[in-house]
Amino acid sequence: MKLDWSVVTAHAGDLAQGTALTVLMAVLTMALAVPGGIILALLRLSGSRVLSGLSASFTDLFRNLPLILVIYAAYYILPLALDLQFSPFTTGLIALALNVSAYNSETFRAGIASIRRGQGEAALALGMSRWQAMREVILPQATRRVLPVLASTWVSLFKDTSLVSVISVGELAYTAMRIRSQTFRVLEMLTAMAAIYWALGYPQAKLVDWLNRKYGITE
Amino acid sequence: MDIDISPILESWRFLLSGLEITLLLSLLTVFCSLLLGTAVGLARCYGPAWLRVPLVFYIDSMRAVPVLVVLVWTYFALPIGTGLSLPPFWAALAALSLHIAAYVAEIIRAGVSSVRPGQTRAALALGMSRAQLIREIILPQAIVRMLPAFGSILSITIKDTAIATVIAVPEYMNHSQTLAGQSFRPIEVFVLAAIVYFIILFPITRGVDMLYRRVAHLGRS
Repeated sequence: MKLDWSVVTAHAGDLAQGTALTVLMAVLTMALAVPGGIILALLRLSGSRVLSGLSASFTDLFRNLPLILVIYAAYYILPLALDLQFSPFTTGLIALALNVSAYNSETFRAGIASIRRGQGEAALALGMSRWQAMREVILPQATRRVLPVLASTWVSLFKDTSLVSVISVGELAYTAMRIRSQTFRVLEMLTAMAAIYWALGYPQAKLVDWLNRKYGITE
Repeated sequence: MDIDISPILESWRFLLSGLEITLLLSLLTVFCSLLLGTAVGLARCYGPAWLRVPLVFYIDSMRAVPVLVVLVWTYFALPIGTGLSLPPFWAALAALSLHIAAYVAEIIRAGVSSVRPGQTRAALALGMSRAQLIREIILPQAIVRMLPAFGSILSITIKDTAIATVIAVPEYMNHSQTLAGQSFRPIEVFVLAAIVYFIILFPITRGVDMLYRRVAHLGRS
C-alpha cells in the first residue's frame, strides 16, 4: 500500500477554509448560547412558577437528546414547521445554540446558586436593591466559578461542530470527507482531519485544565 | 401540516431492532470504557513514571478530538493502514470505548486526587503498605465521589452511540433516518426518536442529579 500525502498539501486551501468555518461556527454558537444560557438561568431563578418551569423543561429536553438527533431534526423539521428555508449553516447554528444554551443555563444557575444565601441577604440588609446585590455581590463571585465550566463547554462545542457535517455544512469534517471521496486518499485525508482537530483541540484542553486549577473550587 | 404516524406503526419492529442495537452498543461501550479507563486512570496515578507520559498523551488527545473523527477514522482509515477491517458495530464499539475511556480515566484521577494528601501521609505513618493505603483509605472515599460522574458517562455514551449512524451502525438513529427517508415522514419519525431518547436519558440524568445531592456529604473529608 502506498501513501500519498501530497493530497493534503494540494487541498490545504480547502482544509483551511473548513477549519475557519469550524471556528466561526463555534464562536457564533457561543455568542448565542451565553446570552441564551443567562436568560434561561434568570427565568429559572425568577420565582415565577410558569417561567421557571418553562426554562427547566427546555434545559431538561436539550440535555437529554443526542446532539446529532437535534441537528437532523432541525434540518427536516424547521423548514416544514416554519415554512422558511434555512441554509445548512444556519440550521446547524440553531441546533448547536439550542444544545449549548441548555448546558450554559445549568452552568449559570449552579454558579449563582453556589454563592451562599447569606451574602445576598447581607447585601439587601445593607440597603442594596435586588439588582444591585445581583450585580455587585453575587455575579462577580459567580463569574469566577462559572468561567472554568464555560471553558469546558467551549471545548466540547468545538468538537461537536463536527456533527453539523451530517447536514453538509462545509466545515472541517465535511470538507475532509468530501476530499476523501473525490480523491480516494482515505487514510491521508482522515488522518489530516484528525491531526487538525487535535492541533486545535489539544491546547484548548490544556487551557481548560489550567483554568480549572486557577479558578476551580478546592474544598 | 398533517400528521401521519402510519409509517411508524408499520415499521415499529424495524425501529425496535435499532433500539436494541443502541442499548447493546451503549452497555458494551460503558463496560469496555470502564475497564480500560480504570486501568489507564490507576496506571496514571500509581504506575511507573515512564508510563505516565504516553497515558497523559492518550487521555488529552482523546479529549481534543471529536468522537465523530475517532469513529470515522477507525472505520474507514484503520483498515487501510493495518489491514484490520472491522464491521460497523465493532468499529463503533472500539472507537467509542477508546474515546470514553479517556474521560473515565480523568474521573478516576480526579477522584483519587480529591482525597487529601494528609490522609496518605497518615496512613503511611501508621505503617500501612501502599496497596493497603490505596485499597483501604483512598479508593473507598474516591469511589463515592466518582459515582455521579460514572452516571454521566452512561448518559454520554447513549448519546454518543447515535453518532455511530455515520458509519452505518444499524442503531436507533440510523433506522430513524432510513425510515424518515423511505416514508417521507421525517417530522413524525424524528419527534418519535426525540421522545424515545428522552425517555431513556431523562431518568439517568435525574438519577445522577439525585446521586450528586445524596453522596455529596459522604465525600467530604
